[in-house]
Amino acid sequence: MTPPTPPASPTPHVPHRGDTEEQGGGAVAAGRPATAAGTAGPPSAAGAPAAVSTKRTSAPEDVPAPKDVSVPEDAPVLEGAPVFEDAPASANSLVPEDSLVLRGGTFSWLFPRRSALVAALLAPLLMLLVALAVMASSTGMSPRDTLSGLLGTGDPGTVMIVRDFRLPRVFVGIMVGAALGIAGCLTQTLAGNRLATPDLIGVNEGATAAVVATAAGSSTGMIGDWWLGPLGAVAAAVLVVLCAGGAGSAGYRVLVVGIGVSTFIGAVGDLIMSRENDNTAGGVFLWAVGSLNGRDWHVGTPLLIVLLLLLPLALAVGHRLQLLRFDDDTAACLGVDLRRLRAAALALAVALAGVAVGVGGPIAFVALAAPIIAGRLSGPTRVPVLGSALTGAALITAADALGRVVAPVELPVGVVTSVLGGPFLLWVLFRTDSTTGKA
Amino acid sequence: MTTPMTDAHPGLQVRGLHAGYPGRPVVQDVELTVPAGHVAAIVGPNGCGKSTLLRAIARLHRPTAGAVLADGADIWKLTQRQVAHRVALLPQSPRAPEAVTVAGLVRYGRHPHQGLLRQWSREDERAVRDALAATGTTELAGERLDRLSGGQRQRCWLAMVLAQHTPVVLLDEPTSALDLGHVVDVLELVREVAASGRTVIMVLHDLASAARYADTLIAMKDGRVVAQGPPKEIVDEALVKELYDLEADILRAPGDACPVVVPRAHG
Repeated sequence: MTPPTPPASPTPHVPHRGDTEEQGGGAVAAGRPATAAGTAGPPSAAGAPAAVSTKRTSAPEDVPAPKDVSVPEDAPVLEGAPVFEDAPASANSLVPEDSLVLRGGTFSWLFPRRSALVAALLAPLLMLLVALAVMASSTGMSPRDTLSGLLGTGDPGTVMIVRDFRLPRVFVGIMVGAALGIAGCLTQTLAGNRLATPDLIGVNEGATAAVVATAAGSSTGMIGDWWLGPLGAVAAAVLVVLCAGGAGSAGYRVLVVGIGVSTFIGAVGDLIMSRENDNTAGGVFLWAVGSLNGRDWHVGTPLLIVLLLLLPLALAVGHRLQLLRFDDDTAACLGVDLRRLRAAALALAVALAGVAVGVGGPIAFVALAAPIIAGRLSGPTRVPVLGSALTGAALITAADALGRVVAPVELPVGVVTSVLGGPFLLWVLFRTDSTTGKA
Repeated sequence: MTTPMTDAHPGLQVRGLHAGYPGRPVVQDVELTVPAGHVAAIVGPNGCGKSTLLRAIARLHRPTAGAVLADGADIWKLTQRQVAHRVALLPQSPRAPEAVTVAGLVRYGRHPHQGLLRQWSREDERAVRDALAATGTTELAGERLDRLSGGQRQRCWLAMVLAQHTPVVLLDEPTSALDLGHVVDVLELVREVAASGRTVIMVLHDLASAARYADTLIAMKDGRVVAQGPPKEIVDEALVKELYDLEADILRAPGDACPVVVPRAHG
């Protein structure tokens, strides 16, 4: 530590921290001047409260207001490029451990270093999985044929299979996974419970009931338009929220009411299905376990638009959701409008999960697992919205590809995620978290 | 030596405040004025409405009538975020985010001052550093909050509240789970906070420490303020009898003649 600045020093430009922390050359030296400015130059060490309290009566009058000081402080920064300050690794650093501070003029940003690293690792993994998923074939098409189909040099049949069936299916899977991952991340953070997934607010049953009803209503027993699933999912979730009278004070009531209402909607769907012939029931069953079979740009385009619209909103809401990790009173007194924040997070989760389930069917465990994995990767300080999206996308892509190659008959993606998700759920329930010591 | 408030502010006023639940008034007709730099302690028996009054002042409980003016503005006419620039609250048993470090906790105190384009300004950094120094928790900055002792943890929470840099600071039973040494620690700190120009209002269950550390004592019974003023003037046998239905002797501390309540043994 540098020696303490004398109280009420008119020249407060004494670096406050250990010299070892000074990185980045002159720009930082200019940009990190005396933090003692507003404080009558106290020792920053903890050991001196006694000396401090004797000073306190005289200090306020002598001290220049922090705002006055900040002008000359920031001036050198304004002239140059934004200052990049690396967060020092020392225990005394006050910058968030997982972030990089970017400052320019009166603006300042925290670049989420660790989350960015996670995203930078997940993105290539996802691309690798996409490559494997495009190759994955239930009919035994060779990788060379697949490549020729992708490039358009193969025979027309191969080109059509790869370009018109597999590729769109893989991309729809990515988007469904991303939407489920984000929705799960939002609901888990909202309820402060890792087991709180969008399934609990009735999206699965709503989508299934809508699809079952249209299949039963049509003379051919075919599943109707793609948008019926999302519509049913969102309608069920809205019904749940209305029954609960809002998100509830802890975001919890809506989940409890959701269990009840979704059981009822599920029962209505089962009732309709039980009166149908086996043919219809078989088709609806395939939908109801979660399958990406036959999904193409017809559903992919609207899904993409919804995702592009909602992802920035989810990122903004996710940033604020951090505060929900406090109790309600503390969060409110830190300036969070809890009702609005909860309503926004819930609406986003419902919309994203509704569209995802409506398109891909109720694919199990992705909304549960993706945020947990992303949270483990990116650390406890942030709400991992982007990480959950990438993880969810990777999970679905891998599960769908696996379902096409692992068995003689293609397995729906929902069956694969259920098989893999069961052990995962047990792991979540039984493990003792090494970072928190909590079960 | 907490960061001084830069300009004088009118402190906190409560005007004709009524609050409660449908059919059950909890706080009735409360008038308060606590100027800048003063410590006010709300005391009274359990269920007298002191916590509800504090919650109403913190904008957590909407009053049925009356107004709360923080820094001159009616808090119910401001947004949650605007209020967070004027009033900070330390609840009685706050819950921290899992695995948060001390520095991480105190940084959250800056949340009302941050936004999309202002995520970690120099002012934020300075406020956090000062709050840590003022509460003697600088050395603990890298530690995890849940691994600290109760006394240390309470100082860290106070640091978060100080980092918020509000003219009004509310504390709900800040000493309730602490041993005597840490109680004195925290209350000394509260005096320093007030000396830096802030208005401090706290709920205390212990009349003795309230009498010792508050400039103004606000005694409540059944939702009403029954006595209000400097402890030396208002604490007497009759007040203790009225508040707690207790026969007690009032002694004077040898040093500063501060009232000390000694309950009489029955029989």
